[in-house]
Amino acid sequence: MNINRPGRSGALGGRAAGHAGGITAENLTKVFHVSARRPGRFSAVRSLISLQRVARTAVDGVSFQIQPGELVAFLGPNGAGKSTTIKMLTGILTPSSGRVEVNGLVPHRERIANARRVGAVFGQRSQLWWDLPARDSLSVLADIHGVGPELFRERVAAFDRILELSAFWDTRARQLSLGQRVRCDLAAALIHDPAVLYLDEPTIGMDVVVKEQVREFLRDQVENRGRTVVLTTHDMTEVERLAERVILINHGRIVYDGDLNTLRRNHSDTDGPDGNADLEDVMRRAFGRQAASELLGEGGEAASGVEAAAGGEAASSGDVGVSAGSGVEAASSTDAVSGGDVEAGVGPGAKTGGRPKAAIS
Amino acid sequence: MSEIALNPASGPGPFQLPSQLPSQPPSQLPSQAPSQPPSQPSPQFPPLRRSADTRQSRRAWRAARVTVLSEFYEWGRVASTLGMLVIRAALTYWLWQALYATTKSAAGLDSRQATTYALLGVFYVAFRAVNRWAARDNMVQHMLEGTIAYWFLRPVSPRRFYCIKACGDLGYGASWGAIAYIVCLTSGVIAPPVSVRAGLAALACMTLGLVTLYYLRLLIDLACFWTVVNNQLVIMYEIVQNVLAGALVPLWFFPAWFASFDRLLPFQGTLNVPLSLYIGRTPVNQFAGALEVQALWIAILAVLSTLVWRRASARVTVLGG
Amino acid sequence: MDAGRAHEIRTGLDRKPGLREQAALYYRISRLNLKAQTAYHGEFVLGLLFGLVWQGSMVLFAGVLLLRFPGLGGWKQGDVLLIASMRLVSHSLYVACFSNIAMLSMTVQEGRMDGFLLRPMPVYRQVLLSRFQVNSFGDLLAGAGIFVLALFRLDLGWTPLKAVYVVCGILGGTLVEAGVQTLLAIGALRFTGLFTWTSWVDQTISTFGNYPLNVLPSPAKDALTFVFPVAFIAYLPAAIVTGHTATTGLPLWLTAAAPLLGLGFFLLAKTIWYRSLRLYQSVGG
Repeated sequence: MNINRPGRSGALGGRAAGHAGGITAENLTKVFHVSARRPGRFSAVRSLISLQRVARTAVDGVSFQIQPGELVAFLGPNGAGKSTTIKMLTGILTPSSGRVEVNGLVPHRERIANARRVGAVFGQRSQLWWDLPARDSLSVLADIHGVGPELFRERVAAFDRILELSAFWDTRARQLSLGQRVRCDLAAALIHDPAVLYLDEPTIGMDVVVKEQVREFLRDQVENRGRTVVLTTHDMTEVERLAERVILINHGRIVYDGDLNTLRRNHSDTDGPDGNADLEDVMRRAFGRQAASELLGEGGEAASGVEAAAGGEAASSGDVGVSAGSGVEAASSTDAVSGGDVEAGVGPGAKTGGRPKAAIS
Repeated sequence: MSEIALNPASGPGPFQLPSQLPSQPPSQLPSQAPSQPPSQPSPQFPPLRRSADTRQSRRAWRAARVTVLSEFYEWGRVASTLGMLVIRAALTYWLWQALYATTKSAAGLDSRQATTYALLGVFYVAFRAVNRWAARDNMVQHMLEGTIAYWFLRPVSPRRFYCIKACGDLGYGASWGAIAYIVCLTSGVIAPPVSVRAGLAALACMTLGLVTLYYLRLLIDLACFWTVVNNQLVIMYEIVQNVLAGALVPLWFFPAWFASFDRLLPFQGTLNVPLSLYIGRTPVNQFAGALEVQALWIAILAVLSTLVWRRASARVTVLGG
Repeated sequence: MDAGRAHEIRTGLDRKPGLREQAALYYRISRLNLKAQTAYHGEFVLGLLFGLVWQGSMVLFAGVLLLRFPGLGGWKQGDVLLIASMRLVSHSLYVACFSNIAMLSMTVQEGRMDGFLLRPMPVYRQVLLSRFQVNSFGDLLAGAGIFVLALFRLDLGWTPLKAVYVVCGILGGTLVEAGVQTLLAIGALRFTGLFTWTSWVDQTISTFGNYPLNVLPSPAKDALTFVFPVAFIAYLPAAIVTGHTATTGLPLWLTAAAPLLGLGFFLLAKTIWYRSLRLYQSVGG
């Protein structure tokens, strides 16, 4: 295998050799341009005509390398840049600068080829069709990925063994519970047997039993099947039980990259009891007290400017949800909240326009 | 490390259970030089053949069946479609009969011609754009929910996927339209085409018209990438399009200046022209001229949509954390 | 006590807000909604145009036809125009005040309904206040404009009584349309596929509500009077004003009472809607 043969992807060498499952990121940076309301009088009217654009760096020079068959967990407070990094790895976002290679390909340039080798589950967003039974959705996805009927049957049977899909795969996706839906989404992500699997908060909102089942499944995938799994999560148990390696991201930069035990040793003063308390303590020290509460999801959702900006308002300016402050429309929703008025004033008003989860940069 | 036989020639094999991988050392902290590429490809994932890489999956066209399946899994929707259509058709029929009760001809059309036109217009409007809102399958809904991200992770480009969906919708709508047409034709409610040639010409025009509409709707949907929600735009577009295509009222009822302005736009080719051919108001020998205008519009819209798709793909950002 | 009000727990601490407080609250909510809507710039601007374009096209439809056809079922052109314009104004008032009930399936899909059920405000009112209908500006403009035009083309002997009756007729029409959509919205509580029906109903009323319904054969006419009360929106009140009451096929008192019946219908629909709140099935697992 001649890894020095130049391939289309450039520096790293021949693609034919296939670095199946390996991920390399070098100095990844992503800068978003956000619209902010002009300060001063008649700001609403003036914003209607023209908006001020402010640059916000979501990811700032992130570098790491992931070997095939690793399971890596990305941790960080909300708004730290984890999801943005994952989006750049998947090729959905184009980095503002820096280099990324997955399976020897540049994801955002060679999308089709990349899509054949990766799978993704974005937590809470299902790629199943709402009105079709889950099995039909999987079948359609198999068609899209070019997986033949026999292979499809075999793979689905194999997923069924651990995830117990057959109990509900004839139910329409609309009627599935969250746990059932995410399990189907996992199957959907793996139907084409990709080398790399990205999971963006997959077990959020799930009950303990299903979480354990998913963890079992992921462990099986990594250990027995050799997939590379990249995971973002807020669940400490998950991190402890699954991840050999963690990458901590805060304010768009990597704070720590290595294994969990070393992290513990570096940050804990005393030998506390094993388990979550210990790890939480470690996280607090690693990130600083304020950020840790967001990391652990304690009121984290509201604290992040993303959610607080009443969805519609911040994203509407056509841009990504933005950190609080910076005169963005977040101000108007906090007006409503602090107005001290009946909640009726907040509910209908603040959430008008829906809560978009996709926005444009 | 133990030896593992590599078999790069075979494609993805049947899903198999265990064999142990050599354990990899944890990677270095970022302060150290990271430029070592991963040294061994995982043996479980032999590289795909080059040719398979960039060619889009052709089996993906089978995904067009999603529309039919989802509509039929909800019997309520099928019943609704039927009910709404029958009522609207009946009311339209009666209204036009009433309008012509006191006159023999208006704007050069007699009762039967006008009724035929109006009813075909109703069917056309009802079926050319299957509403996928309830199935949460419109582009704007994908944008709002963030599931648009998955479109970029499939071995078909988002553009082709959109086209596959549209074909599925169109196939479904066209089937309904065909059934409605046959039923009305056999029951004598509408007139057959004035000649076979006219009928074929009308069909050809209508097909091109549908292609035009596909591109127009695509451009409207692509506006999502810039404005996130495009509900108003879609509805406005639908209305404007209905009016300008002559779906509400045949275009020759409008004043002359309006009709000539409309001739420049792509809309009237989608409905007015085919139906005029059908009922004989436009002679078949003018068919070629109309076709040229349509073809020109399709070319313009196709180029425009290619450009816009490219820019749209570059713009997507998915919100969250 | 119906479901919608059952959650209003009356303790010593809770008191029903006075009228002024309520009005201030509604104003504040609407302002917030508007603020949120203006954030989507493109949509906002389009929404303003939307009403104009939508109603404009309907009027175009009616107007163009009327110009080409000398009369309809014994009604003169001008009289038919009165029906059309009354209906337009009714519709624009409906859009301004009530159209959110037609969007209930969207609201439910967004998951906002749960919140409504937990707040100390009547649920129906919250639904009505859930969005600011930007369209309504355009609609009102179009409606008022056409109405004024119609008045010029009519030669009725205007009396104060007739004027008052026309106003009542318009208000009654608004309430009829609101009532119909409220009843349909019951389906939205249970099924999410109903948006197509509500917009279809909207279109049908907009298309066929402009004409004197006596031109339709009996089954259709009866359906549009008793099953689906389109007749009460503009046709019957206009019949009274223009004197075409003989052809309506209904007793005079029924025709004249159209606005009142509209009010009754709306109140009935709202009551049934509240009763049906228990059918509500929340979205999501």
